[in-house]
Amino acid sequence: MRIALAGNPNSGKTTMYNALTGRNERVGNWAGVTIGSIESPVKKEYANSSEELILVDLPGAYSMSPFTPEESITSKYVRDENPDVIINIVDATNLSRSLFFTTQLLELGIPVVVALNKSDLNEKQGTNINVKNLSEKLGCPVINTVSTSSDKKGLKDVIEAATKLNGAGQKAPYLQAEIDLNDKHAVEAEDRKRFAFVNDIVKATETRKVLTKEKNKFDKIDAILTNKVAGILIFALVMWGVFWVSQAWLGPLIADWLVAYIEQFQGWVAGLLESSPAIVSALLADGIVGGVGAVIGFLPLVMVMYFLIAMLEDCGYMARVSIVMDPIFKRVGLSGKSVIPFVIGTGCAIPGIMASRTIRDERERRATAMLTPFMPCGAKLPVIALFAGAFFADASWVGPLMYFVGIFLILLGALLVKQITGHKYRKSFFIMEMPEYKLPSLKRATFSMLNRAKAYIIKAATIILVCNAVVQIMQTFNWQFQVVEEGMEDTSILASIASPFAVLLIPLGFGVWQLAAGAITGFIAKENVVGTLAVVYGVTNFIDTDELALVGGAGDVAAIFGLTSVAALAYLMFNLYTPPCFAAIGAMNSEMQSKKWLWAGIGLQLGTGYTVAFLVYQIGTLITTGSLGNGFVPGLIAVLAFAAILTIIVKRSKAKVNSEYALHNKGVEQA
Amino acid sequence: MQLTEANIGETYIIQDIVTDDEELKSFLFSLGCYSGEPITVISHLKGGCVVSIKDGRYNIDKGIAGSILI
Repeated sequence: MRIALAGNPNSGKTTMYNALTGRNERVGNWAGVTIGSIESPVKKEYANSSEELILVDLPGAYSMSPFTPEESITSKYVRDENPDVIINIVDATNLSRSLFFTTQLLELGIPVVVALNKSDLNEKQGTNINVKNLSEKLGCPVINTVSTSSDKKGLKDVIEAATKLNGAGQKAPYLQAEIDLNDKHAVEAEDRKRFAFVNDIVKATETRKVLTKEKNKFDKIDAILTNKVAGILIFALVMWGVFWVSQAWLGPLIADWLVAYIEQFQGWVAGLLESSPAIVSALLADGIVGGVGAVIGFLPLVMVMYFLIAMLEDCGYMARVSIVMDPIFKRVGLSGKSVIPFVIGTGCAIPGIMASRTIRDERERRATAMLTPFMPCGAKLPVIALFAGAFFADASWVGPLMYFVGIFLILLGALLVKQITGHKYRKSFFIMEMPEYKLPSLKRATFSMLNRAKAYIIKAATIILVCNAVVQIMQTFNWQFQVVEEGMEDTSILASIASPFAVLLIPLGFGVWQLAAGAITGFIAKENVVGTLAVVYGVTNFIDTDELALVGGAGDVAAIFGLTSVAALAYLMFNLYTPPCFAAIGAMNSEMQSKKWLWAGIGLQLGTGYTVAFLVYQIGTLITTGSLGNGFVPGLIAVLAFAAILTIIVKRSKAKVNSEYALHNKGVEQA
Repeated sequence: MQLTEANIGETYIIQDIVTDDEELKSFLFSLGCYSGEPITVISHLKGGCVVSIKDGRYNIDKGIAGSILI
């Protein structure tokens, strides 16, 4: 039997779903975290039924008539997919709003169980709901639940009640009159009656000590966090803190320790392979263990960052961030709604891009999906950490700067999209429910971190391992499948494939085939940049570069790469701001639903990555050495061509929008 | 007058929602924001204001606040 979880946004559906199924789906303390339906069997300890119970989690909705794209999933599902029972999760602190949707669900004829979730918050505030009375008035079981508590209060009862009702019908306490649903006034009149019915129920069953409209202790915090100056400074500080702790302090501390073990392991493997042919030992010890090890070495940094972001998502701060950023994003044609995808994108661009689904306006949604990859994601973190360590002595400004440049590029890109789409004639709205603050759960943050670690290790052991092995083989052999001799590395398969690309990169300061190969494999997965560089340069320990200098004796990583600091920074930024990995491009495609937008997005990302790297390298070189870098003229031509294309597109679309509106106005006059 | 001019902490009765965006209007309705219902402004911010409707708190931008007549 199938049980659907339905209710208002941020009422705790996914938290209950996770508790009941043992899954670990994304939760967060804001409205609109869940953006698609997911299902999983209920854990044995909750299901005392011989039949398998499948629980379906749905995005939150305020009513059966959808407003945002993800809300329509919910109304469609409960209407068309005929679940056996609906568990309606009601935020007990907001009964007066939630029951509107409840009464709509009760009309479907599918048995409903109401879970009064967050009932612990009501106890704290002295709000009392007469459950027995409410159950009689609604004509369905009503059960107090707390999904976040350790004893999972009421969850077993909810499932038991749902199992019992399987096959039963549902009598509606309120039935909408037969009206023409296309008649706006009739629909509104009916909805008013429904709300009046709900208000009567609330009056009869709920007693409150604290009214929501009264000032509470959190209003002071809100006032600071959403202040137009302080709020933005605090947000910058919080993000800087997250990056500093994960990339410059705690992360590397743990990574140092981990890398020692990885090197030991690599040494052990090399020892085992001592008697085998050099090619085999190179492939296994350097290519696979070395390359994968270099990527795994950065795992602690990623884990610490996920832990911290999970805490941010849980405490209720995200909603305030989107509020404080809303005026800024409005100026570039987006709204505060886009902020959440961008922040999620610092973990991984794919869920970030998918989170753009909660944006109602199609143009804003597509622009957000297009721009989210500019936020450096968790997979790009090793690349940042590698270059910060090797070229900038772990300077604490490198990491945060990459994120702030990302935000800058997002704003710039949004402005460009606004110019091209002629946004000034359209209106954008922003409305955000303000969730109550809560202490972030360490358990949830730990789960989120471990989940990510698992995914990272699996990725390293599959895609990245294969890529590294291929890279190792391609650089070991030439096209005649002979082993490349020392000093003849440029004749390898890898070198000959990557060299044509490397030529294009000369104006950016890193026109060598090794670095080009790193950038290309980066499209498969951004961690590959690190893995490939480890393989082609034969370096494993990127974390503790001091130690490397001692052990290797060949100088530091910077010397091995043969790059100036300026060129290194350009290479880093090129990898961060070019198109994301293929998986993220796939996510862009599915959220944008338009090939035109997709290709425009990829083109914009390619152009941006190239331009940023070009400017950083050429201007940086001019400042540090007093003369321009290599290939300035061809690079400038490429960048100017990109700028010219953009200008032409903007001009054309402006002319188009103007003529459209001119026609439109003429039409109005004639009528 | 528009909600943007409302005094903080004072509860007003909504007179009308004036917008040509029907979906927005019905969305506000589902939150309990429609003519005849009470609304309280908790604070005014740069881009909009924080309001209390029924037992929920929302941040709405100036565009929406301007369309709510009290």
